[in-house]
Amino acid sequence: MNATGQTTGGESVATVLLVEDELDIRRFVRTVLRSQSYRVLEAGTISQGLMEAESGKPDLVILDLGLPDGNGVQFVRDFRYWSQVPVLVLSARSAEQEKIAALDAGADDYLTKPFALGELLARVRALLRRGQQLQAVPQACLSFSDITVDMARRLVTRDGEPLHLTPIEYRLLVLLVSNAGKVMTHRHLLREIWGPGQTDNNHYLRVYVGHLRQKLEQDPAQPKHILTETAVGYRFVY
Amino acid sequence: MKLPRDKVEHPALQYIAAVLLGGVCAILCLPLLGWLDLANIVMLFLLTVAITAAWLGQGPGILAAFLSVALFDFLYVEPRFSLAVHDGQYLVTLVVMLLVALLISHLSILLQRQLQQAQHREQRTRVLYECARNFAGAMTREEVDDTLQYCLSTSVQAQKVALYVPDAQEHLDFTDSSRRSTPSIPERLVIQYSYSSGQRQESTEFAATGFHTAYLPLRGATRMRGVLVLDVPVTRDESAEDQTYFLEALSSLLATALERLHFVTVAQKAELGMQSERLRSSILSSISHDVRTPLTVLCGLADTLQLTQPGLSDEGKELVASLRSHAFQLHGMVNNLLDMARLQSGRVQLQREWQPLEEVIGASIHLLGSTLSSHTVRVTVPGDLPLVQLDAVLLERVFCNLLENAAKYSPPHSTITLAAALQGSAVEVRICNAGAGFPADAMGDLLDVFSRGKQESPVQGFGIGLSICRSIVEAHGGEIALFSPEAGGACVMFTLPLGSPPTVEPEQASPGLQS
Repeated sequence: MNATGQTTGGESVATVLLVEDELDIRRFVRTVLRSQSYRVLEAGTISQGLMEAESGKPDLVILDLGLPDGNGVQFVRDFRYWSQVPVLVLSARSAEQEKIAALDAGADDYLTKPFALGELLARVRALLRRGQQLQAVPQACLSFSDITVDMARRLVTRDGEPLHLTPIEYRLLVLLVSNAGKVMTHRHLLREIWGPGQTDNNHYLRVYVGHLRQKLEQDPAQPKHILTETAVGYRFVY
Repeated sequence: MKLPRDKVEHPALQYIAAVLLGGVCAILCLPLLGWLDLANIVMLFLLTVAITAAWLGQGPGILAAFLSVALFDFLYVEPRFSLAVHDGQYLVTLVVMLLVALLISHLSILLQRQLQQAQHREQRTRVLYECARNFAGAMTREEVDDTLQYCLSTSVQAQKVALYVPDAQEHLDFTDSSRRSTPSIPERLVIQYSYSSGQRQESTEFAATGFHTAYLPLRGATRMRGVLVLDVPVTRDESAEDQTYFLEALSSLLATALERLHFVTVAQKAELGMQSERLRSSILSSISHDVRTPLTVLCGLADTLQLTQPGLSDEGKELVASLRSHAFQLHGMVNNLLDMARLQSGRVQLQREWQPLEEVIGASIHLLGSTLSSHTVRVTVPGDLPLVQLDAVLLERVFCNLLENAAKYSPPHSTITLAAALQGSAVEVRICNAGAGFPADAMGDLLDVFSRGKQESPVQGFGIGLSICRSIVEAHGGEIALFSPEAGGACVMFTLPLGSPPTVEPEQASPGLQS
């Protein structure tokens, strides 16, 4: 649990900083966040947002990319110099490059406008949990569905039965699982697994993700855990 | 040397002048006879011949040569005032004197001609240089034409100059008839042959008029740029060669100028295309942003109403749900319209990458979320299906549109099947539902609702999604078709060409990791 978090029946009272210049969007996002008993800070520009982030110590930042004093990507870059607090980006559809730039700069997730508030709340919860995990003692053993990943023993099992993963598949899985909730861009994953020289070989990554899905998902064509963020990357969800 | 020639133009006058010069020399030498040796007087005569030849040309020079020999014999050689010669020595003198005089006149005339030629060539070189400079600065076809006319008129006195250049389909355009009548069929054949073979052709059909017709192919660096046709004066051998060289040099300058103009046009077109493309995409993205913001607010407010506590009455909830669903529907329509605008502009830049089709299908189904919740979607993709090179974002639109339609036009709780399979050199995808099938009479129209002439579709809310799918599939080099199977329901089938997918080397098995 972090400094501001207090447990009230399983739901934490976390602080969310909302950086958005459209007043109407700000109003309803604030309303719904408050209805879920989050504390909400607001800012309309990048500079104001950075000041609020410093003084208000938020547990999560919701950031619109099109701000009057610049691109939200700049906010992420500046913010990441001194904070690892999760950032959820709001962006327009068909702006994949913008999303990738924000994610590569250090944002954790994105939501395309217009979005369903239920989806927004789900993402907020997932990212807050991720923020808590970043500060908590790392766990060696993670499980989802009937799969268990034991990182101490480098063992992946389904219902106790060991699964055969190649070294690359295993590294990919661990990377995705330990960043659960965060969108991992193709470039980031390629760099981590294959090294900095291979960032153009997206098809390698796609083929290995396909293998992982074949081995781990119930229906590889409709995955429940290793989700595709089209043209951007992958996201692991529990 | 040039000036004296200009003074005495008429041939008869030239000969009279030659006779006069000879006479003056003979008379002037008379008083010198006492104290000048005859040999030196011969020299003075020879000098006169040299001056005459140089000044008046070959004919008068030869006349002067004979005249001076005769006068010398008549006036100075014993017996004087008679053409007879007593001393045999003087015969040799006279013969040598004649030969030297003839030689001098011949040499001087040769020199003069060479000088003339050099001057002529120099003038043509200057014209060529000037033409090159003007061609290099020409920015339009008119300027090229003007330069060409100027160059030809100042050098070869050419007439009826015409320039035939190919159009976009590489066919020669024979309509340049400003100074020359439209070519006859045989002449067209000559021009066409010259164009396709790159060889210079000549026609001496009208040589009697003092002109012959030259057909000069214009060879650019990359391809033929046209044919220059002109009537040039028939000239003597040596200057004919000069003329040929000059015309060849000129036609290569002309070809370069035309080629440059062509590339200027190409570059301008590309620039224009890029600008309009940039403008279009900036308009589209600003419309997209402007429409999306109120839609986001609308959807968000509807959601907020649903989530606020205390909850609404049942009727209120229904109203809010309807508001919300219509707002999202509107959003879908805006997306489709923007996609359509982007695709119809005809310049879609595909971001193609090699990827498994299964991944795009999975992402599309995930994206549709609750839209498919009342249907079962059965996906069949063979595990060994090769990678396909496609634009994932656009293909996701295809799958979303097709699956959404399949769900919209089939009863709840029915099954939608999506199957991909290898068919020859393409991947074939079929999406079928258990609905009523396509209306038989409208089937042909469904795919091109937005194409010309069919702006009003009898089917509501159907067409735009399908025509987007068609544009995207066709941009990928595939085909799309609709059919209603006999077993019932409706099917959309599309293909994606396979190409040659990159290989992914299988990883070295590492038995140590897992056991």
